[in-house]
Amino acid sequence: MKNRLLEALKKNSADYAEIRVETEENTHLAYRGQEVESAVSSTFSGGMARACVKGGWGMVAFDSLDNLGEHVEEACRCAALVGKEKTDLAEVEPHEEEHPAMLARDPRGIGLDEKLRLIQRYNKIILGAHPSVESSMVSYGDSFRTVYFASTRGHYCMEERPRIYCAFQVTARNGSLVQRTHDSVASAVTYDAVVGLEEKVRQTADRAVALLKAPKVNGGPKTVVLDHRLGGVFVHEAFGHLSEADFLYENPKLRNLMVLGREMGPATLNVVDDGSLDRRIGTLWCDDEGTPTRKTYLIKNGSLAGHLHSLETAAKMDARPTGNARAIGRGYPPVVRMTNTYIENGPVPVKEIFADIEEGIYACDAFGGQTEFEMFTFSAGYGYRIEQGEIGELVRDVVLAGNVFETLKAIDGIANDLEICEGAGGCGKGGQAPLPVTFGAPHIRIRDVIIGGEH
Amino acid sequence: MDAFEAEELQSRMQAGIDLAKRLGAAGARLAFQRTDKIDCGFEAGRLKDTGRKQSLSYGVEVLVEGRKGNTSSNRLQDLETMIERAVTLARVGSIAHFDAYPAPGNPASVKTCSDSTRQLSRERMIEACQQIVDIIKDYDPTLFITCAANRTASENVLVTSGGVIHWAERTHWELGAFVQRTTGTDMLFAGYRRGWCDLNEFYDPALIAQKIVTDLRLGESIAAPVRGKLPVYVPPETVGQLLRPVFMGTNGRNVTKGDSPLAGRLNEPVLASSLTIIDNPHQDYGSGSRIIDNYGIPTEQQTIFEKGRLKRYLYDLDSAGLAGARPTGNNSCAPYSPAILPGTRSSSQLLADIKDGLYVRDLIGFGQSNIINGDFSGNVGLGYRIKDGRIIGRVKNTMIAGNLYHLLKEDVLPSSDTEYQGRYPHLVIDGVSVSAP
Repeated sequence: MKNRLLEALKKNSADYAEIRVETEENTHLAYRGQEVESAVSSTFSGGMARACVKGGWGMVAFDSLDNLGEHVEEACRCAALVGKEKTDLAEVEPHEEEHPAMLARDPRGIGLDEKLRLIQRYNKIILGAHPSVESSMVSYGDSFRTVYFASTRGHYCMEERPRIYCAFQVTARNGSLVQRTHDSVASAVTYDAVVGLEEKVRQTADRAVALLKAPKVNGGPKTVVLDHRLGGVFVHEAFGHLSEADFLYENPKLRNLMVLGREMGPATLNVVDDGSLDRRIGTLWCDDEGTPTRKTYLIKNGSLAGHLHSLETAAKMDARPTGNARAIGRGYPPVVRMTNTYIENGPVPVKEIFADIEEGIYACDAFGGQTEFEMFTFSAGYGYRIEQGEIGELVRDVVLAGNVFETLKAIDGIANDLEICEGAGGCGKGGQAPLPVTFGAPHIRIRDVIIGGEH
Repeated sequence: MDAFEAEELQSRMQAGIDLAKRLGAAGARLAFQRTDKIDCGFEAGRLKDTGRKQSLSYGVEVLVEGRKGNTSSNRLQDLETMIERAVTLARVGSIAHFDAYPAPGNPASVKTCSDSTRQLSRERMIEACQQIVDIIKDYDPTLFITCAANRTASENVLVTSGGVIHWAERTHWELGAFVQRTTGTDMLFAGYRRGWCDLNEFYDPALIAQKIVTDLRLGESIAAPVRGKLPVYVPPETVGQLLRPVFMGTNGRNVTKGDSPLAGRLNEPVLASSLTIIDNPHQDYGSGSRIIDNYGIPTEQQTIFEKGRLKRYLYDLDSAGLAGARPTGNNSCAPYSPAILPGTRSSSQLLADIKDGLYVRDLIGFGQSNIINGDFSGNVGLGYRIKDGRIIGRVKNTMIAGNLYHLLKEDVLPSSDTEYQGRYPHLVIDGVSVSAP
């Protein structure tokens, strides 16, 4: 493939050109209720050629791997229609790399029957948990994506990106009240990561049943403690997206707002994105522009310390590329995305995080989250009241919202129990979802977070 | 695809059906799609990229001893391999709740393909985007403007062992912009996008720009925080978002699997009597229009809620078999082009009657929570305070919450005017819980 890519790039007439070819194989099995819901296998190949002429881009997505040079030529023609300024892309040392996957237990060697038996076992646990459990969804999936990349800058990478996941959802019902809980596990390393999850499945089912009796949380500003997963979603949604330089580089007002050195939170707050973190689902050797990944501090000692970059944003913001230009798959251009994003450990023992809260909410797990720059909304899977420093009653429908600048400054406790979460979902941006990422945090305490809810 | 290519593809797909049968399948379904899309994008008010996306994909489904196996690929040379794999997968596949693929029906005649859209050039799309950018810049040159347009032409071929051989063409365009205003740490986002199968008067760059400028003007001042149980004025662009839990409820598979709070409630008054909700997949050139489903079953114009009463659940072939019901031709048991029938009073009259309320133009995070139960809580991304029938400024850090089934059952007023596709009116929903710091 390397020679085919390099041959295709000889058709380049632009200031810069690259070509990415991918193959992928996917398996998906699911139970819903008593029955198998789906058994699907897919295999795809294709790619994208991009070219840059005088700062303007041409992008051609293709499925056919014949005549790759024609795709490069067409991308150059498209770019020539656009460019009127100057091509400005950061330099990265030329390199050639090949990174086959190193799987401890490869799911491709495991039979469909065994995979199906695994999720059948989990499914039975859910359906047998309680009479009020109405339905279940247990799914297993694996994907094996091979990415070949070459550019006119002398970069060539081949990387295999495997992913194995198992997700379970429980629906419990009492009359017209329906409650859903979910959990999932994902791995880039071994099939064994999705084996032995019986206790996690049981807890998910028990929680759905308990939520039927849980009161709704009351709305209004409250002191909130976020658990690892929700803290991770918070830092990803509320802050991480704001650090993506493609939102900033052409926007002087936003650049000014996100200027390095700006005080963002307490001095104990450190936020990191690390695409080179050891073999997580958000980890990759090189991004989809061929830039090696690395650890980037976004906030260091409470102050803004870095942004996430592509070649173009790095050049235009006079920064070093961080290896964060990622495409969700063939046919999509790389855009600036997170990888493994987390809050580093703070100084507070976790028990002390709760200790002096007279009345608050312990918000756990994440249903999802969305952000529009400064504004964010994210939903906890469930929560508990905190009264006089003690974790109390289970509550449901915990939705948190706010302004990221105010909320980060309102963090007044960071525990020392960081966990990074690898789940089946992913990140969405610009129509590209779900991109595999991880996120995590120690327990964090935030004052005056707006909790949505009825009065 | 010319006539020769189409014939060759159909005969190859028919050969695929025969192969599946030789491998032991009682039936098979093959669906093929080829798409050609061109687009352009503006960033920071300047043309940033143009491109083309050509894709081809196909899906295989086989029935073996009462179970289904599914595969998909974009490598036509692997078609036979994917059929063999589907037969293998069917051994462990999902139980098919139907015996055979249905015979061809009599689909409606609906226009989905337009030569004028097919001929929409990249240059013309760039011109339209430039016009939008220029109008918005006239209002405020410091705004951060992104703008995009695309045109898609696709061909679909469906062949089943039930005798369905269906070939369809479709064109579609989209044009829209998104604007960001940053003042200190305050940011305002406003956007508007249109799409349609035919290149008609809906393709109107000036109108798209004006809609955005109107939102920006309304948001020039910040209103005092608002709290309590208030009437909420929802424009058509936001109504579709709010109806998502309702359509999860009318999803026949969710009903049969026990996931829907609307199970067992046919003919009951579930929503306010002012609300009649239909699915109309037969509108000429409609973005959601479709004449057959993935099994070749003709789609229907149907009433889902009549004056608030739940009239039917939506079923695809398999879910209908599971429920012992008649398939309604709805893929994934979801409506194609849902619409709320208009009310009697105009949106401006409805607005004028609100003494104290909230205009919700955009919600952040709606649908991220446990919405199947109807419970929702969303951050108001763009919203305005209404006082004595007038919009008096933008609200910030405000959330709305409630249970959609409860709210839509009480005092809900649809306007007599709808958005350009004729699907959604404005709604006034009373008693929504609004919180702010």
